[in-house]
Amino acid sequence: MKRFVLISLLLVCATSAFAAAFVALDRKSARMLTDEATHTVPTIVALWSTDCPHCKKNLGLFADMVKADARLRLITVAVEPLSAEVSASLDRIRVPGVRYVYGADAPEAIAFALDPKWRGELPRTLFFDGHGNRIAISGAVDRASTRKSLGLADRR
Amino acid sequence: MTHLRTLGAAVALAIVLSSLPEPASAAEPKDKATMAGMTAMGKKLRVELGSSAAFARDGQLLAVAKQGDHLLLYRSGDQGANWSPPAIVNARPEAISGDGENRPKIAFTQDGGVLVSWTKPLGKPNTGEVRLARSDDGGASFTPPITVHRDRQEITHRFETMVVGGDGRIYLVWIDKRDLESAKATKKPYRGAAIYAAVSDDGGRSFKPEVKVADHSCECCRIATAVDTDGAPLILWRHVFEPNERDHALAKLKTDGTPASVERATFDRWKVDGCPHHGPALAVAPDGTRHAVWFNQKGGEGRAFYGRLTAGGIVGQRFVGGEQAARADIAIAGHRIGILWKEFDGERTQLHAEISEDGGASFKRLALGAASGASDHPRAITSGKDLFAYWRTELEGMRVFRLP
Repeated sequence: MKRFVLISLLLVCATSAFAAAFVALDRKSARMLTDEATHTVPTIVALWSTDCPHCKKNLGLFADMVKADARLRLITVAVEPLSAEVSASLDRIRVPGVRYVYGADAPEAIAFALDPKWRGELPRTLFFDGHGNRIAISGAVDRASTRKSLGLADRR
Repeated sequence: MTHLRTLGAAVALAIVLSSLPEPASAAEPKDKATMAGMTAMGKKLRVELGSSAAFARDGQLLAVAKQGDHLLLYRSGDQGANWSPPAIVNARPEAISGDGENRPKIAFTQDGGVLVSWTKPLGKPNTGEVRLARSDDGGASFTPPITVHRDRQEITHRFETMVVGGDGRIYLVWIDKRDLESAKATKKPYRGAAIYAAVSDDGGRSFKPEVKVADHSCECCRIATAVDTDGAPLILWRHVFEPNERDHALAKLKTDGTPASVERATFDRWKVDGCPHHGPALAVAPDGTRHAVWFNQKGGEGRAFYGRLTAGGIVGQRFVGGEQAARADIAIAGHRIGILWKEFDGERTQLHAEISEDGGASFKRLALGAASGASDHPRAITSGKDLFAYWRTELEGMRVFRLP
């Protein structure tokens, strides 16, 4: 029992430490993050904000899909500066993956670097199929369209 | 993956470096409100730049901006070249929304009062109250703020806007989620949020109980206001038409705040379950023509648009600016129509304007300035027959451009 409690405590600590790890974006790192060549596995880059209810729906779906399929990778980008609410929102729906937030660079420059076709509407999701292709979709998506956008529609 | 780890480490290092105190430079923020982003540790936080400005009848320009938990009112006697030390609007500190879509507002009453309205965020995410303070000494001091609505649930009453009708009544209009929350409680579907209004007939000292203007507004776009030729307020907002078309609706309000009419105003049919975060703007010409600018995705492409709203549909709809044009605003002074917008050019944000002297049939284009840091939405403002652009930017402060 003691061992179980110790392991549980360590897990809680590890989870908390992970949850607190955010990386701030500037225009250069945003450009690197969304460079098709850097994604060699199917990857979802989910742009979201704390005041966007539809974003939370997408994040919940993506979290479930990534947990169920080890081939997928999820990266989240909060399009706002780091705050307790940013962290709590991701923790509340147990969103895995690397967590980015907007840094001190001009928001319009970061947005342009992430996706020049994106005009600020949320959620905005960039789907990389791992073979150099990218699809961007605004708004809530479902499981089938996510799989299709990741190039997984015909694969099991 | 290794690549991303390297990227993460590099950016983490950049955060540490950027947290060091910055040397003084020519690019130092000019206005004190911008300085609010610097903490005692020297770490630079994102400043909420959302700000408004308006000319008083005596030609003085007043601007309101957030600094921490206070709103500060600045005054300029020379069209924004110099600003006075600020007056504090809310003596007691409180949370204040200060982003571009949800910024503090200024209005002038017919009995000489200065009004400032804002949204006060509450504890739960996306909740707030609509607040208002009045000054009887031209903005030197303000009464303690009041909450303009009776409903005190910890829910959304946010994105307020303020307009003074031709008869002097003050109308506060905002996005309200009481109907959405009721629907949720009874597990019924409800599209979007609602628009509510409260009216004051004593110059903003008190407000009558709020009334509903319309169900099914979008949740987080600014609401546009204008005064019609008969003095009645007009409001234009992003609506959620069935099933999920986020176009705009136009309402004319009666003196009790209820709508005399609600019409669909735009027909771009942007179907999205999402948050555009991009509200419209509206201005009425002396001949009654309603000129509007708005943002929508049409044919898969997000663009800023201009058009004249008529009962039979939009006349003269066209793009405003290029592919990156955003945050358009519009104002009318005399017979001149001014449109502003910003456009990111890959390096900097450019501020552009268009002016029409023939009722919107043709426009001439001007480049006004640029910002290399963050910037608020530009605001088109008027003084008599003159048009101005007011633009608050992170590095340069509060900037005013007279449109020739």
